[in-house]
Amino acid sequence: MTWWSPLALVRDALRGQRAREKDLRNLVSNLPYEGLEKRKQPNRYFPGNAIKTTKYTLLFFIPVNLFEQFHRLANIYFVGLAILNFVPVVNAFQPEIALIPICVIMCLTALKDAWEDFRRYQSDRKLNNTPCFIYSRRAKKFMERRWRDVRVGDFVKVISNEIVPADLLLLHTSDRNGITGAVIHYNRFPRALTAGLPVLSSCGGRIANGAYTVEKPDKEKVGAGIESLLLRGCTVRNTDHAVGFVVYAGHETKSMLNNNGPRYKRSKLERKLNKDVIFCVILLFFMCLNGSLGHFLWLQALPTVPPYLVPDSNGHLDSPGLSSFYMFFTMIILLQVLIPISLYVSIELVKIGQIFFLTNDIDLYDEATDSRIQCKALNITEDLGQIEYIFSDKTGTLTENKMVFRRCSIMGTEYPHKENAVRLAVLEESETEEDVLFNKRPQPGKTRWSLDTEDTNFEDRQHQHGSRRKCKVAGNAQSNVAFSSPLISGVSHSLQSNNQMDPLSNMPKKSGYFSNIFTSWQRKPNRNRTISEDSVVEGDIFNLPVIMEEPGDINGLRRCSLYAPTNSDQPATTSDNLRYEAESPDEAALVYAAKAYGFTLLARTPDSVTVRLPSGEDLVFEVLDTLTFDSFRKRMSILVRDPITKNYVLYSKGADYAIMELLGTPYAENLRGNQKKIAADTQHHLDCYAKDGLRTLCFTKKVVSDREYKSWFVNRQRALAAIENREQLVMDTSVQIETNLCLLEVRRYNEDPRNVDTTQDISLVIDGLTLTMALSSDLQDRFVELAKNCRSVLCCRVTPLQKSSVVKVVREKLKVMTLAVGDGANDVNMIQAADIGIGISGQEGMQAVMASDFAISRFKHLKKLLLVHGHWCYTRLANMIIYFFYKNVAYVNLLFWYQFFCGFSGTTMIDYWLMIFFNLFFTSAPPIMFGIMDRDISEEILLGVPELYRTGQGEGAYQGSDIDIFSFGTPLNTISLFNILLHLSIEIKAWTAVHLIIIVGSVVLFFVVTLAYSATCVTCNPPSNPYWVLSRQMADPMFYLLCLITTVVALLPRYTFHVLRNSIAPSPLMQARHLNRLDPLTRSEWIKEWRSLRGGGQVKSSRLSTPPSPTLETPVGMYPQSLTESDIMGDEFTLNVISENHQRHLHL
Amino acid sequence: MMASSYNAKDEDGHITVTGPGGGTLRSKKPENTAFKQQRLPAWQPILTAGTVLPAFFIIGLIFIPIGIGLYVTSNNIKEFEVDYTGVDMSSPCFNCSQNFSWNSTTPCTCTIPFFLEQPYESNVFMYYGLSNFYQNHRRYVKSRDDSQLNGDMTSLKEPSKECEPYAYHDNKPIAPCGAIANSMFNDTLELFYNDPNGTKVQIPLTNIGIAWWTDKHVKFKNPGAGEANQNLTAVFQGTTKPLNWRRPVYELDAAANNDGFINEDFIVWMRTAALPTFRKLYRIIKSPSNGMMPTMPRGNYTLEVVYITTMSKNLGQNLFNQLNPDYPVRSFEGRKRMILSTISWMGGKNPFLGIAYITVGSVCFFLGVVLLIIHHKCGNRNNSADISN
Repeated sequence: MTWWSPLALVRDALRGQRAREKDLRNLVSNLPYEGLEKRKQPNRYFPGNAIKTTKYTLLFFIPVNLFEQFHRLANIYFVGLAILNFVPVVNAFQPEIALIPICVIMCLTALKDAWEDFRRYQSDRKLNNTPCFIYSRRAKKFMERRWRDVRVGDFVKVISNEIVPADLLLLHTSDRNGITGAVIHYNRFPRALTAGLPVLSSCGGRIANGAYTVEKPDKEKVGAGIESLLLRGCTVRNTDHAVGFVVYAGHETKSMLNNNGPRYKRSKLERKLNKDVIFCVILLFFMCLNGSLGHFLWLQALPTVPPYLVPDSNGHLDSPGLSSFYMFFTMIILLQVLIPISLYVSIELVKIGQIFFLTNDIDLYDEATDSRIQCKALNITEDLGQIEYIFSDKTGTLTENKMVFRRCSIMGTEYPHKENAVRLAVLEESETEEDVLFNKRPQPGKTRWSLDTEDTNFEDRQHQHGSRRKCKVAGNAQSNVAFSSPLISGVSHSLQSNNQMDPLSNMPKKSGYFSNIFTSWQRKPNRNRTISEDSVVEGDIFNLPVIMEEPGDINGLRRCSLYAPTNSDQPATTSDNLRYEAESPDEAALVYAAKAYGFTLLARTPDSVTVRLPSGEDLVFEVLDTLTFDSFRKRMSILVRDPITKNYVLYSKGADYAIMELLGTPYAENLRGNQKKIAADTQHHLDCYAKDGLRTLCFTKKVVSDREYKSWFVNRQRALAAIENREQLVMDTSVQIETNLCLLEVRRYNEDPRNVDTTQDISLVIDGLTLTMALSSDLQDRFVELAKNCRSVLCCRVTPLQKSSVVKVVREKLKVMTLAVGDGANDVNMIQAADIGIGISGQEGMQAVMASDFAISRFKHLKKLLLVHGHWCYTRLANMIIYFFYKNVAYVNLLFWYQFFCGFSGTTMIDYWLMIFFNLFFTSAPPIMFGIMDRDISEEILLGVPELYRTGQGEGAYQGSDIDIFSFGTPLNTISLFNILLHLSIEIKAWTAVHLIIIVGSVVLFFVVTLAYSATCVTCNPPSNPYWVLSRQMADPMFYLLCLITTVVALLPRYTFHVLRNSIAPSPLMQARHLNRLDPLTRSEWIKEWRSLRGGGQVKSSRLSTPPSPTLETPVGMYPQSLTESDIMGDEFTLNVISENHQRHLHL
Repeated sequence: MMASSYNAKDEDGHITVTGPGGGTLRSKKPENTAFKQQRLPAWQPILTAGTVLPAFFIIGLIFIPIGIGLYVTSNNIKEFEVDYTGVDMSSPCFNCSQNFSWNSTTPCTCTIPFFLEQPYESNVFMYYGLSNFYQNHRRYVKSRDDSQLNGDMTSLKEPSKECEPYAYHDNKPIAPCGAIANSMFNDTLELFYNDPNGTKVQIPLTNIGIAWWTDKHVKFKNPGAGEANQNLTAVFQGTTKPLNWRRPVYELDAAANNDGFINEDFIVWMRTAALPTFRKLYRIIKSPSNGMMPTMPRGNYTLEVVYITTMSKNLGQNLFNQLNPDYPVRSFEGRKRMILSTISWMGGKNPFLGIAYITVGSVCFFLGVVLLIIHHKCGNRNNSADISN
């Protein structure tokens, strides 16, 4: 390293600062500088890719951790008290002793923090050492390095199924259509140049709007959007490898920026707990005031100075007023135990234990994705037991995004096929078996399919078509098999061309496209699925007769190309063996459906789509452009060139209202009567589908003339290359060409509505537009009032923001605990707004999971999570906290009442050490164990009788406990120990060996420690003389008799109270516990009976009378896809979303 | 502050899940063990009338006999108490406590006659009782130096700060230091038996064995204990007596094994009482060795209280100006008593404990009956009840 002047160093640092903060980031490839020392590197200002999420370093752990801990008010309070103890006039204990509790507590906390930090360190290290490939100019190839070696400006190669190490600008993929982003579901197209790497010399971009330009050596600039950025943490799929240029590394990557710091939510219980602590403080204040006044009066009453009044060291005696003033502080120190110092750390320990059990629950483990439940917010477990309102995203969350092609309406004709549904199920079953053969990976959600038991003979159909379907979806998430085949048999003969349309369509973009008309939230699990197709072909451009005349193949092909291009499907070798990977399940559903009809998508590259017709002929469509989905247009289109007619054809796919609106003009003006009828029919079908709760999509097509296309193309190119306002321009061009479309068809998908319980009560259905009004400030109250009286409330077509505002309004107006479940990026707002946010991993990427407090892999896990773990966590923690207060109040009362007998002089009759140990060691383990392991009711009962959940929703267990001991005797400590432990044993609901060991252990510990202490410590603790006290006591029979009677007297009232309450007016929980004791057979019998009594069970389907029909007037601004279900229920059973359908079978 | 929620771990997760050839990697499936699945076998008692009935009856059946036993035992213990404070004009001690001149060199003695209704057998314990004396006052309790009392030479010369302001006097360390020692009870009590034949027999009082054995032999030690020919006077050279004491600590008793810090009267006093009204063992009246006679037969007795002149050197605002003819209790409106008591296995007389046992036992029994009725009436409801209230 050469010598650098300090000035230069400063200059360099400043420059680096500027470079990092500049809006526009200019990056130069590292390659020409390879091997040079650091200060010559052009990108030296930007941080490397090594990440560090640890909070502490080895060296500064103690100061930093102390600093952190003192952020907690309680700690400051206790330290303050300890310091107060050093003031001679007010001290109650030995000053050093007073420091012990706080030190122990802080050490425990520090240990816990250190352990957590160590875990983070390990995970960082593992991540930083993950191998990756970096291009080296010298070696002329990609060298294997570690993630931490990646620097901004490097070229990195990522192999298929590997994780992207940093934010990369995608330059090249092995497959030209390569698409990555399994984790974040966006298509990534290699922008810029697909050729070689080093062509790129500078790359500027702003992460804000995600605009990038790449400057070629010839100074030509090429724009690239956010869609060309591979984000750290994504997995590369569908391509052998991808090469990218590192734009952001390490902590500057998007995923790291989004993940700063742990989430700290305060649970309801904790908020209440804080209130109670404040109450304790007030109580403490009055106790101290009492002591102070008492001392004053006591002093006043003395006629002269008695010999036991000790003056200060100068022989001066304070006036009664002054000494009672001092006494106030002494009392605070003395009675500080009232504020449970170890409560906070105990709660944290308990929560760690609870989370341990939570994550280890085998029922919350999903085989398919090999994932357990993840707890992201570790401190709100008990809130799970208090949820009153559940908000669920419907799309994908309830349905798990499993989509099956059900019916369609083509040219105003609907093809309903009830029997197809029957066949379908069989297909699925048989298919599952096949999957086993073809898939290495476990199939997620296969079990779901078995629910449609109505299908029988799909097998034949399958053979008939000669194409076997394996609908396995690679990877974890999108295991959707769309088989629409049955219908075809019926329909296809007559309307072949139409049928072909279905199979062809691959829905390219996001699932967002699909969610459409959603009317009934409540679906029956046993609802029949029907498949029908209808297509409406608009007369002007592409009318039915034409289709009919033409060979069906051609039509089919066209559509195929239409939809396929955007798709991310990757054909495997043969058509029999095709395996599709789609961005969203709907796309996959369409492709598989198409295949079922014989139109097989063989290949999809950015430029072409290859489709095999039933005749065996392969057709290649040239893809001219793809207009991707965005939420403003709510549709996507693809421009292809028909291989036969050589026409430019634009096909669009989108939400019904988005599409129907576009059709509006031509319909109105120049439709012939026939076409008008088609439109009306289609609309009618849409409504019908909506009533059935199917998802709909509309397809349109438009033939674009040569001239039109060319002029548009010029605009388009300009827009794409633009740096500023690129998106706006691109969108404009999209809109420009997407006008005057013609309606091709309407498709329906059915989703699995497995998780929804149906009730007969009124439900409220509201769409986004109405919701905007309903949520306006003057209507809010009435909306909430109305919603409260509904069994459930359904919001459809709402934006993510509206979702969260619904949650917020309900939360604020009704003051209830809310829970939001979602799986997609559009649910993030909602998840964050609710008290508890639950993300479902796997289906639509990780955004929801990232934002959530708990991440589960299946919706059905929510049931056990809430009903069992929620209940347990809540009752355990609540009982433990009550117990803690009880313990401390009881103990403080001993000290407090003793003051009446010692002239309010702040004397303790218990040795300080023992007093401190009492709280810290003798009585702390049992309640913690109680908080972690107690189990009031077995999970079978909790799941079988969900009504029990309501006990947590109110105040439930967390109410004040009565203090029932006041006794006075020499072995007070022993007696109170027995009392406190025995009291706990009244509360313990389930005794296991662990309980026994810990309780007995505590008693033994107490005696051993006390005996040892009193036997060995002659003068070690100057002012108090515990020497031989206990030993002597234990030789005295009176000691035991005293302990016995006091304990019995102290506990008798509580015991009797419990008994009487349980006998005369048992609480629901108590009854459930009775139930618990029955043998399993009787128990399940009982639960069944109970269910039928309650009208639970498998409810008959009830359809909504007036489903909202899709309207053409829906404004474009509405987000089409997101449907929020806010499940708002009144006084009835509030948890019905998750209650039924998955009745667990008891283990016999 | 607890969660480590950056998702490095998530990323890990994906590495393992989606890694090439996925599925061969270690599964994250939780272990299906009874502990982790929270299915440990458990005993789940439910407190209802039916289940606790036996417990109540058993408690009742056990407690009542214990209580009766205690009560009877307690009743068999004989106890006699006489107040000799001398606040009343009629009291024999009134003169001594009021009129005794501070510069008189002769001790003032008051004689209190009393009559024992019953003979006291076996060893009789003689206590002095003080009331309203807050030996448990926080600062008083602390005002001692245990290591000094344990014979530590350093502490003898430099008493602990806790002893202030009774640590030094005239620049000499006080031994024993502290307020407790300074306020040691110093009335001398003597008992005489008035024989029916008119003679007045002094009852021998033992002052050995009144302190805890461990206190006398472990906790309290004279400085230099263990050395041969220890001379207490020499050992305590350079220290001064507590202000209120008449004699230095090494002149508390003539017997060498009861002198200095190991004087049992002193040890007993140093064990501070828990309550403001307390009694402390003063002497033991051993039963005659032949055992034929009661230790104290029924009859007339005389208690003689010898007041020793002390100048209360309470360091309050009125230092050295208070005249205290006797052990000063009037400054806090205290009372002084002499108690004679026999003892049993349960210690002194304590009728309360027996009554408590009997009461609790009866209550339990009664509750048991009530529960029996309740159980009969409501017991069958449980299984059919509606949980949803």
